[in-house]
Amino acid sequence: MGASSGPRLSGIQKQVLSLYREFLRVARSKSGEDHRQIESIVSAEFHRNSNEIDRKNFIYIEYLLRRGKKQLEQLKSPDIVGLSSLNVGSSQPKKT
Amino acid sequence: MATFSAAAAAATSSVTFASSLKPSLRNTVTSGITTSNLKMVTAGWTKKNFPSLKTNRFHVSCAAKPETVQKVCDIVRKQLALAADIELTPESKFSALGADSLDTVEIVMGLEEEFDISVEEESSQNITTVQEAADLIEKLVEKKTAA
Repeated sequence: MGASSGPRLSGIQKQVLSLYREFLRVARSKSGEDHRQIESIVSAEFHRNSNEIDRKNFIYIEYLLRRGKKQLEQLKSPDIVGLSSLNVGSSQPKKT
Repeated sequence: MATFSAAAAAATSSVTFASSLKPSLRNTVTSGITTSNLKMVTAGWTKKNFPSLKTNRFHVSCAAKPETVQKVCDIVRKQLALAADIELTPESKFSALGADSLDTVEIVMGLEEEFDISVEEESSQNITTVQEAADLIEKLVEKKTAA
């Protein structure tokens, strides 16, 4: 393993993947139904952004990273367990 | 231990072949047949030697138990929502199955959950095939049970 395998990832890609991992980890700490809901919302959001955003649009990606980190911090709080719908709102800003 | 005996078997097979190669070589020299015949002999030799080398290496990389590989295959299938008729071998590359880096993260998270291990960030990004995932899992599970 190591050098021969795996795609070469840029720093910003690694940051995004790391954030995604963190989100999935936090989702795991929530219970049953919420867990699955958070996971599907987060997954949809990341995949949507990965398809829609130009990979060279660093400024926007960095903004999303910062926003994601803040949302992650909020989600980490044990009080947020039942408030996964909060994430729905933030992942679909057009509706609000 | 198994690797050693396999290597020994490979060595003996190549030795016996070398001895059989010699007369044929001498034959070409004495009878003066064209070099094309000689070429054929050499090709036969490499061909004979290669599979044994390959199986040897296969043994080493296949250290992961078949159950593990099967479990990994199942999880990959589930995560990527693959149709049942899509073939999934240990050598299949995730990218060839239509997975991007986000999907790979999901697969690794799914594997962590299933095997109750934690994969480091660095190594998780290096996983590209089922076999690599299975090998890494075996290593981590071993480390966990030893600790």
